[in-house]
Amino acid sequence: MLNKAYAALIGAALSAAFVAGCGTQPAAERSSQLYETCMPCHGSSGEGNLALRAPAIAGLPKWYVLAQLEKFKKGVRGAHPDDMEGHRMRPMARSLLGPNDPELVADHVSKMRAVWEKPDFAMADTSAGGTTYRGLCVTCHGEGGEGNEALGAPPITRQHDWYMVAQLRKFQSGMRGSNPDDITGAQMRAMSLTLADSVAMHDVVSYVKTLPH
Amino acid sequence: MLDHLIASAASFSGDVDGLFVLITVLVGVWFIAAEAMFFWLIFRFRAKDGEKAQYVTGKEKHLKKWINIPHALVLVCDVVIIVAAIRVWVTIKQTLPPADRTVRVVAQQWAWTFADPGPDQKLDTPDDIRTTDELHVEVGKTYHFLLESKDVVHSFFVPAFRLKQDADPGRIYTGWFKPTKTGSYDILCAEICGIGHGVMGALLVVDTPEAFQAWEQAHAAETPAEAASATESTPAPAAGQ
Ligand SMILES: [Cu+2]
Repeated sequence: MLNKAYAALIGAALSAAFVAGCGTQPAAERSSQLYETCMPCHGSSGEGNLALRAPAIAGLPKWYVLAQLEKFKKGVRGAHPDDMEGHRMRPMARSLLGPNDPELVADHVSKMRAVWEKPDFAMADTSAGGTTYRGLCVTCHGEGGEGNEALGAPPITRQHDWYMVAQLRKFQSGMRGSNPDDITGAQMRAMSLTLADSVAMHDVVSYVKTLPH
Repeated sequence: MLDHLIASAASFSGDVDGLFVLITVLVGVWFIAAEAMFFWLIFRFRAKDGEKAQYVTGKEKHLKKWINIPHALVLVCDVVIIVAAIRVWVTIKQTLPPADRTVRVVAQQWAWTFADPGPDQKLDTPDDIRTTDELHVEVGKTYHFLLESKDVVHSFFVPAFRLKQDADPGRIYTGWFKPTKTGSYDILCAEICGIGHGVMGALLVVDTPEAFQAWEQAHAAETPAEAASATESTPAPAAGQ
């Protein structure tokens, strides 16, 4: 008799613990909890961090964040042996283990208030940069740098200038965009290769920083 | 003996296991002896009606020998453990048998990257095979590894080899191993190195000579070339901007 009551009690406790432990957490709570993984590098408001070379991510469209998380997860982005920053991001994307985790955290990031990041570099030749931009970048990233979901091109006006320059270099060297499964990366890599040198990169990035945001 | 719990796949992993067993047995015997003595004393000299408790200082010779003799024996066991441990240490860390092949192991937040010398057997040549997350080696060959860290302190840990080596940035550590059993084994980081430390893993694949050759041929062509580092060539932001 006592044994039965005991067993029932233990059973009730275990099922209560199980119910409490899973499934009942609201999505919003879960997504801000997931964002705590991102916070040490990307900052509490998604503003990025120059010292850690982490880009600003607040307000990036959900589809873009999700696509990049998938690329990092699969090693399509960030797995090149020389990609220091990619190696930091890749395991973080992999640690989003739940089936809905990438989606939840991407949603959270997309709803963060985007801030225009002031240039950290001295502004270079924006008129030369403008010519390059209208010749090359405009097709995918749009006239105002607003991006284009259909083409997989992110909005870029609010990104840090140092991050954009670093990514252009990565695309050019093949550290980014050279994985055979990285279709949009390969497109961007081809574009980056048409930039003659680091002066051209700084010019075009400076121009992007003059776009309305 | 311990390879029932975790694969033993390097020439010296049995030596480390032997050390574990030796320490467990020697310490275990004394542990059981001391506990048995303790409980026996509690039982033997428990409170009894009509018998007064007595205070024993333990200074007399016939009492003191119960401490001195086990003490001396424990010290002998200590010496045995130290001698055995130093022998294993010398084998793994102090000697460097000639290498059949040398690979580079690079730790960084939070990944392992590797360089195999490729067909010419020389590191830092264009035919190096550079990989992320996976190191391929050939069974039965003696390897030297050149271990380095790009950022903070990491530790190269291969449980199946019983091998662990810290890596401070700025130094190149030379070590060796000789894989004896084919299979895929975990590589872990054994030094807390930041938020991604727990997921900083890779695979060490011990191939048969044929499988290794096939892997080498498949990768020699498509290896990612050394890309100019985007980080280092990024100019520092202009101050005060
Ligand atoms: Cu580490």
